[in-house]
Amino acid sequence: MPEAIEIQLKKGVLALCVLALLSHADSYAYEIASRLTKDIDMGEGTIYPLMRRMQSDGLVETYLVESQSGPPRKYYRLTAEGRRSLEQQKTEWVAFTQAVNAIVGAAA
Amino acid sequence: MTRAEFMTRLRRGLAGLPVTTIADIVADHEAHFADAVAAGRSEAEVAAALGDPDRLARELRAEAGLKQWEERKNPSNALAAVIALLGLGAIDVLILLPVLMGVLGALFGVLVAVVAVFFAGGVVFAAGPLTGPPGGPLTAFLAGLGLMGVATCLGALLTLVTVGVFNAVVWYARLHYRLLKPAIEQA
Repeated sequence: MPEAIEIQLKKGVLALCVLALLSHADSYAYEIASRLTKDIDMGEGTIYPLMRRMQSDGLVETYLVESQSGPPRKYYRLTAEGRRSLEQQKTEWVAFTQAVNAIVGAAA
Repeated sequence: MTRAEFMTRLRRGLAGLPVTTIADIVADHEAHFADAVAAGRSEAEVAAALGDPDRLARELRAEAGLKQWEERKNPSNALAAVIALLGLGAIDVLILLPVLMGVLGALFGVLVAVVAVFFAGGVVFAAGPLTGPPGGPLTAFLAGLGLMGVATCLGALLTLVTVGVFNAVVWYARLHYRLLKPAIEQA
């Protein structure tokens, strides 16, 4: 079932993508969601359950920034633990993709 | 679907969660609509991209249930987590339920046995020395104490196993979340 594999794959890397985005700059949910929707075609609504889980796991924390229009905006930033998790997941991801590429490349 | 409709259905779906949690989630989605409209998108388009608000609410509730279970492992939180997951359809009912019932049944059986041994130990401990048992009153006294100790140990082990089983269920259920399904169905 290629569809199921695709779902599992994307779900697995989603948290890694969010951590990586936040490691470059603090961001708010809409910005993160638009970026991920555009680049890896995920459901926009996915971001909120994910951000809540990452927050409760202590990987990200929030702060409010006043905005000229409308209510203050909620920004997310990485915690020290989030940074650690990013480094670890990045290492795993690189090792995994290299192994898969080697196998797929060799088969072709 | 309009923004108002989406928010109403989301709010309805979240009923039962702590008020502050609901306010938080509602504010997140209000901000999402505001940002999207500011970026020139229509409310209907945004609502469609966010996905079914009822399912969204179920997933957020399930996540809250799992979090409670992870923070405080007690029977009522375990039940809440399982109910939330069943609502989500995350536990593959047909496959998992018979297995789960079997395991829970076995655990319950062991629990009954442990309680019985504990009480038997109590009886031997309290009444044994008075009945002139073989080996003298002290033997009965110590045997009763021993039985109760064994029951307590088994009870502790049983608790560990039960917690382990529930953690496994939670892990399995998380694996089966369908958070990304809408993206793929729309594609």
